[in-house]
Amino acid sequence: MLKSILIVDDSPVARMIMKKCLPTDHGLTIYEASNGQEGVERYFSHKPDLTFMDLTMPVMDGFQALSTIKQRDPDAVIIVATADIQEKVLSRVTTLGALHTIKKPPSKEALKDALERATQALKH
Amino acid sequence: MIFSQIFETINTGLVVLDKEMCVRHWNRWMALHSQIDSSEIVGRNLFDFFPELNRPHFIRNCRSVLAFGHFCFFSQKLHKYLFPMPPAGSLAEEFDHMQQSCSMGPLRNESGEVESLYLSVQDVSEVVSYQKKLVRMNQTDPLTGVYNRNFMESQLAKEVVRCQRFGHELSLLMIDVDLFKNVNDNYGHQCGDYALKEITRRISAKIRQTDFLIRYGGDEFCCLLTETAPAQSLKVAELLRQQICDTPFLFKEHEFSSTISIGVAGFDENDVDVESLLRKADSALYQAKQSGRNTVVNTAS
Amino acid sequence: MTAEILNNIFAQDEKDILQEVMNIAFGQASAELAEVIDIFVILSVPDIQVLQGSDLPGYLCRELQTSGTVNIIEQNFLGKFAGQALLIFPSGAEKDLLTLFNQDQEFINNDIDMDTLERETLIEVGNILIGACIGKIAELLADVVTYDPPRLMAKDLCLEDCNKSPVAPDSFVISIRTVFRFEEQNVEGYLFLITNQKSIDWLKKALFAFLESFG
Repeated sequence: MLKSILIVDDSPVARMIMKKCLPTDHGLTIYEASNGQEGVERYFSHKPDLTFMDLTMPVMDGFQALSTIKQRDPDAVIIVATADIQEKVLSRVTTLGALHTIKKPPSKEALKDALERATQALKH
Repeated sequence: MIFSQIFETINTGLVVLDKEMCVRHWNRWMALHSQIDSSEIVGRNLFDFFPELNRPHFIRNCRSVLAFGHFCFFSQKLHKYLFPMPPAGSLAEEFDHMQQSCSMGPLRNESGEVESLYLSVQDVSEVVSYQKKLVRMNQTDPLTGVYNRNFMESQLAKEVVRCQRFGHELSLLMIDVDLFKNVNDNYGHQCGDYALKEITRRISAKIRQTDFLIRYGGDEFCCLLTETAPAQSLKVAELLRQQICDTPFLFKEHEFSSTISIGVAGFDENDVDVESLLRKADSALYQAKQSGRNTVVNTAS
Repeated sequence: MTAEILNNIFAQDEKDILQEVMNIAFGQASAELAEVIDIFVILSVPDIQVLQGSDLPGYLCRELQTSGTVNIIEQNFLGKFAGQALLIFPSGAEKDLLTLFNQDQEFINNDIDMDTLERETLIEVGNILIGACIGKIAELLADVVTYDPPRLMAKDLCLEDCNKSPVAPDSFVISIRTVFRFEEQNVEGYLFLITNQKSIDWLKKALFAFLESFG
């Protein structure tokens, strides 16, 4: 079972929506970061079980944050959350090591599925 | 009830298509003008009946309407028509097909999702015919049928831009009928009109389709020779001069001769605009007149 | 000045929701343009400003930072969210757009002169881009929008010479600006969605309803 999640997104509203859609009965600890740079720092200070990563962000974008984290910690479980979910974006983030991609705004079902995928990935 | 009556009786073609491009509805206007009854086409793929619509542009617009729920407008200017149909009545002489202005929009189900799309078809042949007539009237001289000054100003501006951008050659002939007043005074204005028409006929016969002959004023004409260097345009001018002076004019019982003077100017890098080119041609024409008429003078000389 | 008006009209939380709604709408529009109709266009993060109508020409001039001339396509849209979309391309872009959108040479042999072809291509591309962006905003905010046909408001216009505002000088204008870039051609343009006071009250309610829907 997942214990902690890091949400990296420059929009406070996007983070709020994400939190609202996450199941409440798990006693999850939620960390937040508002750009890629902060995301990388928070990842290594908290080592969350799962990280949700936005792509378009100031300072450091999601592609770069994703690749930085995966290079230093290949076991990191990162799921990309983006509205621009075109084929090219998907293949790029997959190459960089993202476990999965969800479309923004997230639905509860999509998040439930994402958490299951993350749980599976952690077992391996 | 009311809406279905409107659907059938409105003076506009209405078609409903589903996501697979299958016809769901086909109103009477469409049946009337396409000669395809709704019983034949409803339930069938639109492209079975109109294969010419099965092209990337049309499909892209259908998809975007289904995806975004917005509207698409198929302008007559670009498409002429979507559905090939015979034009109504006397317009058949002017157009091969009915000219259409078409639009396309989304149709939603109860939960607000776009489920199908509609197409509306309007016959705009008459409007297009008027537009063409207006453009023609605005650009041509009613007496001689050649272009008028109004057309020349816009065309010359375009040609000058082209020359500046691509380094093309452009020449301008300024033509004046010598002592034209005498023709009017001696044989009457009808004869003068005849002379002007005959002169434009002779000139038109000797220039290329890509050149433009313009009636600039009363007895003044102008010739725009595209992609033509001054040396070549001088030869053309000389040919035109001969065309007029070599053959006498015959109007009713009057036989008379006429001549023209021509000023030639070529566009070069010193010309900043249309006016400077016109000025050069004008001053060459003035010199031609001064040197005894029936002459061609080049600016360079 | 701009920030001041923005703060007077929208509270911070309203601004944040508006920004996120636009982020999602433009992101989805970009994805669907690529997936559904093979138009590969990158839309920048939308920049939202509130201005006085009379300040709009100066604002457009500053934002565009172009010394050359531009073509402007205008389209009015009407829903609970209503206003005017302005799509601005630098002069000459129509030639690249034509290569991009007429790859199968559908219209070349149709006795249509180049001017008309380029002009109509601008209008059709404009219609799709504007429709995609507004369509997605409307979808997120549960609105249904209808549109006027787009028209070429200005051809080869020099912005610096232009001081006529397309909206009433005393009105408030919400300008939502995105820079879009076609990947296959080096074409960039700007999209401004200009909406007025009437839409603002509805917009505020719709923004909170959007947030509530994730309850």
